[in-house]
Amino acid sequence: MPRHVDTTQQTGERVAEGRGFRLRPTGHREARAGILALRQLAQDGRARIARCAVLALVSIAACTARAFAQQPAPPVPEAVTYCLACHETKDMSITLKDGSPMSLFVDVNDLQHSVHGSHLICTDCHSKYDQDHPSGKTFDSRRAYTIGAYEICKKCHFDTYTRTLESVHYDLLKAGVKTAPICTDCHGSHNIQNPHAKRAMMSRSCATCHVSVYQTYAKSVHGRALVEDNNQDVPACADCHTHHQIQQPGTTKFRLSSPGICIRCHGDERLMAKYGISTTVAQTYLADFHGVTASLTKNASADKQQVVVTCVDCHGMHDIASPKLKGQEAMKATVSAACAKCHQGTAPGFPAAWLSHYPPSPRHAPLVWAVQIFYTIFIPFIVIGLILHLLLHVYRMSAGR
Amino acid sequence: MSRDDASEYIVRFSYWSRLQHATVILLFGVLLLTGMPQKWPGLEASQWIVDHLGGLGAARWLHRAAGVAFAGLLVSHLTVAIIGVTTRRTRPSMLLSRRDFSDAIDNLKYYAGILDTPPKFGRFDYRQKFEYWGLVFGGLIMVVTGFILFYPILISRVLPAELIPAAKVMHSYEALLALLIVIVWHLTGAHLAPESFPMDTSIFTGKIRKEKLRHEHALEYEDLFGGP
Repeated sequence: MPRHVDTTQQTGERVAEGRGFRLRPTGHREARAGILALRQLAQDGRARIARCAVLALVSIAACTARAFAQQPAPPVPEAVTYCLACHETKDMSITLKDGSPMSLFVDVNDLQHSVHGSHLICTDCHSKYDQDHPSGKTFDSRRAYTIGAYEICKKCHFDTYTRTLESVHYDLLKAGVKTAPICTDCHGSHNIQNPHAKRAMMSRSCATCHVSVYQTYAKSVHGRALVEDNNQDVPACADCHTHHQIQQPGTTKFRLSSPGICIRCHGDERLMAKYGISTTVAQTYLADFHGVTASLTKNASADKQQVVVTCVDCHGMHDIASPKLKGQEAMKATVSAACAKCHQGTAPGFPAAWLSHYPPSPRHAPLVWAVQIFYTIFIPFIVIGLILHLLLHVYRMSAGR
Repeated sequence: MSRDDASEYIVRFSYWSRLQHATVILLFGVLLLTGMPQKWPGLEASQWIVDHLGGLGAARWLHRAAGVAFAGLLVSHLTVAIIGVTTRRTRPSMLLSRRDFSDAIDNLKYYAGILDTPPKFGRFDYRQKFEYWGLVFGGLIMVVTGFILFYPILISRVLPAELIPAAKVMHSYEALLALLIVIVWHLTGAHLAPESFPMDTSIFTGKIRKEKLRHEHALEYEDLFGGP
């Protein structure tokens, strides 16, 4: 059995990947050869350059061709087959200290279809284990094993790992909450998939704990599009809450940053054009009194007294519904209720002070429109007139009497 | 006229006038400093100003305080002016007359070289009157729209709520107009104009040289001292 693993080569490839070579799961081998050739190209003398360039191009072309051909998953590395010789036994298990059994069965199918499939071998993660490895009985429970073992991910994904240390989930784990999510809870272990390609799946992993929030989300305009239509434009959980550095969403800081989250998509003209949504929603909010407050308060985390109305106060958070489908009357009622949260004793007409994301026009808010038109004509008229008067004055003075 | 006579000063502005001018400088400055960041919230400078004023809450408080003070100044100015004129203690020298329009045309003709001499002006020339009435009417607009924005809920109980965004737009544009007029007209006139460079100090000291008065406000000079 081959026991030797060339780790330098593997690390080299991972570094290259980390620099932005993102490939599809199929065709890894060619890509690896291509990337290695590119590395050679940078390192070696001129004599080898031409040869390496040809190799690189051919390999990358082959990789692309294979990726398009969608061939079945490549066989697992030989070092893995060595472990599988025992671990492919379905009923293989040990008993942990708490008496519960822990299956030691590894499904080769999971490995083959995971993103790590042909990159990693068992001992990359299960590094403590030698040929005559201990039985693993030292762990208190299944969860204790998982928590003890998950940090191995940082060996490669160090930046991501450090981000998780600043997350609300890590705070929980630190506080002793054993169920707080760690890498493998969301990403899986032997069956890790590319999370960028499986956004719906990642959101469902949030649902493992945040059941009610997920159910609300799944019924929202965004959630339905993601869950039912697999629409990749809509925000999944992580798009608003971030992936790893997840913050406590109840804080003022998060609240203040929330319009920025919405505007990231709702201010994107190309994206919104696809759905017939106006991007003026962002501009009109920002131009309004409350939008100005949000813009000018975002740096001042100390200014906690400041109440800031953001998108979510009228539109909801996880339960966002399409205002078009909701209807004008229902939307007006929602806005009224939102105003009344802070402005006590408002008249029923008060929400009309908010122009409902419409830029002023003769149809929507004719008075505001008229004032705007008046000044856009009046100001240049006056100012240009005064400047001309001034220039004439200077001209006469310099021309002499 | 003797040389001594030419360098003699006469008092042109009362203490009340000088105090009002100084107060307007202060309040206008505070209002601009706290108002402009709210007009252009996206600018880095706006954020800097607001942060250094102690946050948006503090900036808005200052803006409203200065606004209320400005409203008080405007009301007291108009009260004093109206009482002064009705009791005939002061002359309504700021009132517009038909002569101001013909003066403006004649002055432009003089600038253009059509007339050889500029028209003779009274206590205040048409340019000063334009600025004064601009300040009074602009000030009134700012005060009224400012109070609408200060008490939006109260306003919406009595008047249509659309007035509130309209007032916001008006407040913002009128402020921009005031700022531009102050820069291109008042500051250039009082500092950069050849007659007053580097600075026309009358409104601070209250005094004006007799010679300058004879030159710039000939009709007033004739009224005071007789003869051209």
